[in-house]
Amino acid sequence: MFRAKGEPLCRKVRGMLSEYIDNGLDSENKSLVERHLETCEACSKELESLRMTVQLLHRVAEVPAPRSFTVIVPEPRREGAFGPASMRWLRPATAIVAIALVVLLMGDFLHGFENNAGVNHGPGNVTVSGSGFQLAPSSVAAEQQTWVAVPGVMGEMSLATAKAVGYTDYTVVPSPPVSQPIAQPIPIVLGNEGPTGAQVTVGGEGGVGWPLRQTEIGLGAAVFVLLGLMIYARRQRRKKVGAR
Amino acid sequence: MDEQDLISRSKSGDVEAFNLLVEQYQRMVYNLALRMLGNAEAAEDASQDTFISAYKAIGKFRGGSFKSWVLRIAANSCHDKLRVARRYRVVSLDTLLLETDELPQANNNESPEDYALRCELGRFLNEGLTHLPEDQRLVVILSDVQGLSYEEVAQATGSSLGTVKSRLNRGRTRLRDFLLQREELLPSKFRLNK
Repeated sequence: MFRAKGEPLCRKVRGMLSEYIDNGLDSENKSLVERHLETCEACSKELESLRMTVQLLHRVAEVPAPRSFTVIVPEPRREGAFGPASMRWLRPATAIVAIALVVLLMGDFLHGFENNAGVNHGPGNVTVSGSGFQLAPSSVAAEQQTWVAVPGVMGEMSLATAKAVGYTDYTVVPSPPVSQPIAQPIPIVLGNEGPTGAQVTVGGEGGVGWPLRQTEIGLGAAVFVLLGLMIYARRQRRKKVGAR
Repeated sequence: MDEQDLISRSKSGDVEAFNLLVEQYQRMVYNLALRMLGNAEAAEDASQDTFISAYKAIGKFRGGSFKSWVLRIAANSCHDKLRVARRYRVVSLDTLLLETDELPQANNNESPEDYALRCELGRFLNEGLTHLPEDQRLVVILSDVQGLSYEEVAQATGSSLGTVKSRLNRGRTRLRDFLLQREELLPSKFRLNK
């Protein structure tokens, strides 16, 4: 309001007026300010208005607190109650379950990736048709556990049986009978021994059996439950100290 | 019982000792929050948050001025409230003042006219304070309204002495300009240009 006329000394003095009002200046600066104020009317007015402002602020009365702000600490929970103290195991337990779930999921993914490598497949059941392939020679056990359907023959039979009988036209069923879950996926390689005229259909689940899926779902649910318990325990701990 | 004793007992978990400290400082904390926020309800919340935080953190108090320590927590609590208000635009700082219905206590030797004038002046100054930037407002309130020394203000705001002096100078000047611009609204007794 009381503008300095751009003089460096006025600006310097005005920067010290607040401290001058509070008697905070050393003797050298104090005498500098006082000498300047004797000759500069604008700075004197500035000082008076600032001093009046400070005096007005000193007159601002304190109001009483509307209520007490004392704090209260609730009684400790009874023995055996579900409280924050009993939650110390939650964090490591959640971490272990989550790690197990991640390991399972990664193994599941890599397994499926290896089994389906080299086979052109879509999102659903995979059909490899035509010729130029055969089951790997090392998969005798797999042949016994692989179930096929032969056109014109009722029911299903193992691949080993179909071969022994001499059927050359058969279809591998997408999933085995429920009573005989496949523990290992069917290894299939592309061969170069000429056409066989067979059609092979492979399940599109990457060779994962039902128990594995069940385990993954169970672990996922456990992670959610444990996370929920951790959030609950944290809220309980925050409630520990509150207003009266 | 002296303050150091109460602090020691509070550190060892004696909530009753801590509440004696609360009763000693609650008026000061509430008034700081009221001037900073300009709203009685928000000031109550900030004051309660301050003492709950102080109780939880009393073990970390390493000596020095307990008053400055509590005021620093209160200042942080007020900053948090203002930040939330700005983010969600729950209340406008310009309208906060209108919601302040707290009145100072009348002095015994004060006439009703003087008391009314003082209330009017208080409202006017509160409005002026809400127009200051937060950092300047805090320093002006602590120094000129609550009467803390520069050193105590520096501790309460976590700033250097030079920063406190600079903010105080700018805050006072800005408030003076606000008062001069609205001088006709100021009671004649308190006008700056007489």
